[in-house]
Amino acid sequence: MIPISFNTVSGGYGSLNVVQDLSGEVEAGKVLCVVGRNGVGKSTLLKLLLGYLPCRSGEVTIGGRKAGSMAPEARRGLGISYCPQERPVFDDLSVSDNLALMVKDGRLDGYRRFFDLFPVLEKRLAQRAGTLSGGEKKLLSFTRGLAEHQPAVVLDEPTEGVQWENIQRMAEMINGRKAGGTAFIVVEQNLSFAELIADHYLVMDHGRCVLIGSCAEIGRADIVKHLTV
Amino acid sequence: MPPFMTIDRRTMLAGMAGALAAGIAPGALRRAVAAEGEFKIGLLIPLSGPAALFGPSNQGCAELAADEANAAGGVLGRKIKLIPTDAGAAPAEVAKSVVRLMLEEKVDLVIGSHDSAVRQAVEATIKGKVPYIYTPVYEGGDCTANLYCLGETPPQQIKPSIEFMMKEKGAKTFYMIGNDYVWARNSNEAAKSYISAGGGSVAGEEYVPLGAPNRFEEIVTRIKGAKPDVVLVTVIGADNVNFNRAFASFGLDKEITRLAFLLEENTLLGIGAESSGNLYSCMAYFANVGSEANQTFKAAMKAKFGEKVPQLSTLGADAYAGVHCAKALIDKAGSTEAAAVAAASQGLSFAIAGGTATMTGRHVDKDMYLAMCKGTEFEVVKTFEKVASGQSCPV
Amino acid sequence: MDPLIVTQILNILFGVTTLAMIALGLAITFGMLGVLNLAHGEFVMMGAFCALVVDRAGAPFVLAVPLALLVCGGVGLMVEMLLIRPLYRRPFDTLVATWGLSLLLRKLAEAGFGLGFNSVSVPLAGTATLFGADYPTYRLVLIVVCVAIIGALFAWYGTSRAGLKIRAMVGNPDLARALGMPVKRLATTTFVIGSCLAGLAGVMVAPLVPVHPYLGLDYVIKSFFVLVVGGLGSVLGVVAGTGVIGGLDSVMSAVFGSTQAYFTVLVVAILFLWLKPRGLFSHG
Repeated sequence: MIPISFNTVSGGYGSLNVVQDLSGEVEAGKVLCVVGRNGVGKSTLLKLLLGYLPCRSGEVTIGGRKAGSMAPEARRGLGISYCPQERPVFDDLSVSDNLALMVKDGRLDGYRRFFDLFPVLEKRLAQRAGTLSGGEKKLLSFTRGLAEHQPAVVLDEPTEGVQWENIQRMAEMINGRKAGGTAFIVVEQNLSFAELIADHYLVMDHGRCVLIGSCAEIGRADIVKHLTV
Repeated sequence: MPPFMTIDRRTMLAGMAGALAAGIAPGALRRAVAAEGEFKIGLLIPLSGPAALFGPSNQGCAELAADEANAAGGVLGRKIKLIPTDAGAAPAEVAKSVVRLMLEEKVDLVIGSHDSAVRQAVEATIKGKVPYIYTPVYEGGDCTANLYCLGETPPQQIKPSIEFMMKEKGAKTFYMIGNDYVWARNSNEAAKSYISAGGGSVAGEEYVPLGAPNRFEEIVTRIKGAKPDVVLVTVIGADNVNFNRAFASFGLDKEITRLAFLLEENTLLGIGAESSGNLYSCMAYFANVGSEANQTFKAAMKAKFGEKVPQLSTLGADAYAGVHCAKALIDKAGSTEAAAVAAASQGLSFAIAGGTATMTGRHVDKDMYLAMCKGTEFEVVKTFEKVASGQSCPV
Repeated sequence: MDPLIVTQILNILFGVTTLAMIALGLAITFGMLGVLNLAHGEFVMMGAFCALVVDRAGAPFVLAVPLALLVCGGVGLMVEMLLIRPLYRRPFDTLVATWGLSLLLRKLAEAGFGLGFNSVSVPLAGTATLFGADYPTYRLVLIVVCVAIIGALFAWYGTSRAGLKIRAMVGNPDLARALGMPVKRLATTTFVIGSCLAGLAGVMVAPLVPVHPYLGLDYVIKSFFVLVVGGLGSVLGVVAGTGVIGGLDSVMSAVFGSTQAYFTVLVVAILFLWLKPRGLFSHG
């Protein structure tokens, strides 16, 4: 069963299609990195996958089931976690409340491994999440998303503002999960990070796919060519 | 052009021609045409807003009076037609309705039951062109041309009741609480002169805004501190209920007498039995006044409306009197021409719910009743007979 | 202390707590859902009529509480599903819709009970002595009950898991949806809670005022002032707003007079709209 696949999806805001006829999929234990310049529709593609925007055409399948017009809160039940690029955490809540929110008994025991990896989070547990730095918010969001243990995880620019050593730890964590069969779709600007985790690339320009293939087929030079045009 | 369109167009043209002819016809011709039809009365009563609860009673009583007047031959031989119009809106809005009544309905006369601010706006709109009968209790002193006032004035309402409180009850000190507008302020000015004439004094006087969400706990506390013998109440409607309920809940009803100047059956129902101890009202009509005329009036209302008879009160009774006054006045004058009507008004007698009334100086002399509240009923404790209005507008 | 001063202090407390109780439901629906419910006063009115029905039936006054919760909660539920939900994020349309709803509810009350004034007998009639001052027992109980309800609600909102989820949903609805929170159900629940609080406030004030279809108008005006001063969308704002509006109103009434008090409240509300349009504690 394919954790996430999308077939000729189009959509956008108002009458404008930001994403046009895009297709792709990610298998269990694989990472699909979506790359492209700013404003080519990467985040919009994720919003179509998650149900924040309606697909004007095409079809999204999550965990083998057609998502149709399901709302985002319902798609989660199909087995997908999402860490958005903007406003990635609940600013008004404390860091610990951010993490405890969706844990049944409200305890943070399940986060032990993350706290060991990112000690800064444990230090800031009592702090209001809105007071964290941009990179710390991303770490918090990443932690929350991965701790949900869903078969598919969608990350939108997870490394924005994060220090390199923590980026490397994020990559380790993702690669560990890959081994356990989790599928990832990651929108990423940082190619060094992408190279650490990617199995497949989808390069976008003007809402369309300009290049798709495995990391064996697509080298850094091919991608850079599209990013700088 | 398809055939059906030509028919439409021809009809439309004919209609337009008719409308134009009517529009340019000389005023005299139009009046002559109107004179052959019904006698139209614009009935300004509160149908919306906070005073709307008085609307049904006003309208019902006026309808009964119109039935009776029509049975007696109508006005100048013409059948009375009442055109109920909302006077519960802001004065400027009511003025617009009056313009419509004058220009479109071409009313022969206007009867109004509403507050004084609306009356002033209506007067400015009518400009004396048709007779205007103003029916409810008011502060007195309005001699606008072609205006006839039926309601209780301070000399009728306040003077005898304050004298009663001072002489019979030994009251010396008075506290005044009213809504901040012309009727309450003028009434209290009049009350002050009667109080000082009787050797009493005023312990305090305060006003709350009209139409605002008022609370009375602070005022009641001040009254408690001032310890007056009598509180004169000129707050109206919901404020009247709120004040009296707060007053009683602080336990003041046992020690201090209240005398209200616009307290009728509807308001008393809101005040409730447990808050109406030592509460008096002085009006020209109460639903359980024992007079023969009132029994007849109540039986007629019951016959006309059955189970749906509106709550009878002084305001409805005044509207009833208004229609009878209109018939008597215009029949005696022979026309609605201002000078003739004014001349006819002097000494005019007409039916009111409780008996008959006589008009002098474009105001009405009548019997007044001082009632004490017993639960949610009024019990008349003193009747003041044929009290003069104290007004003498030129006729 | 002079008993009259004690009484005036109690009056101020009474004014602030009852105003907070009435404004609370409005603040909740506005702050949490961005819905300015112009029919809020009519929910208060419905609560008051529930008290009237119970009073007329000769049943104990406290039975009005479950009845009002049932009626106002039920109507609130229907209103949210049929009227509010299709209009979320369209504030002007919601304004017009709830304004129409207020007219409808008033007319329904008029059709059922007539336009006249009704009175509900005061439970716990009489006065109690507190620091040498005689104060109406029912009003004293109301102060305590209002403080208890508001305190309990704040505690629940601040500490419970359901409160945590509502705060998350209000602060960042998109992220809340990503986490699988049933935002629509939470929105419905929130609106129903707001309606129930209005109904509860209606039951509380019913024995103090004439019960009639226009009852809600008086209450909604001051509640809006509270929102203007307190800020839109903040829970702390309700407390601050009622403190400023209710406190000013009561203090000015006690020291000067009602007209001066009303004038001051109006001026303060206008100044806030003009100089601090987002209120004392605004959201974001």
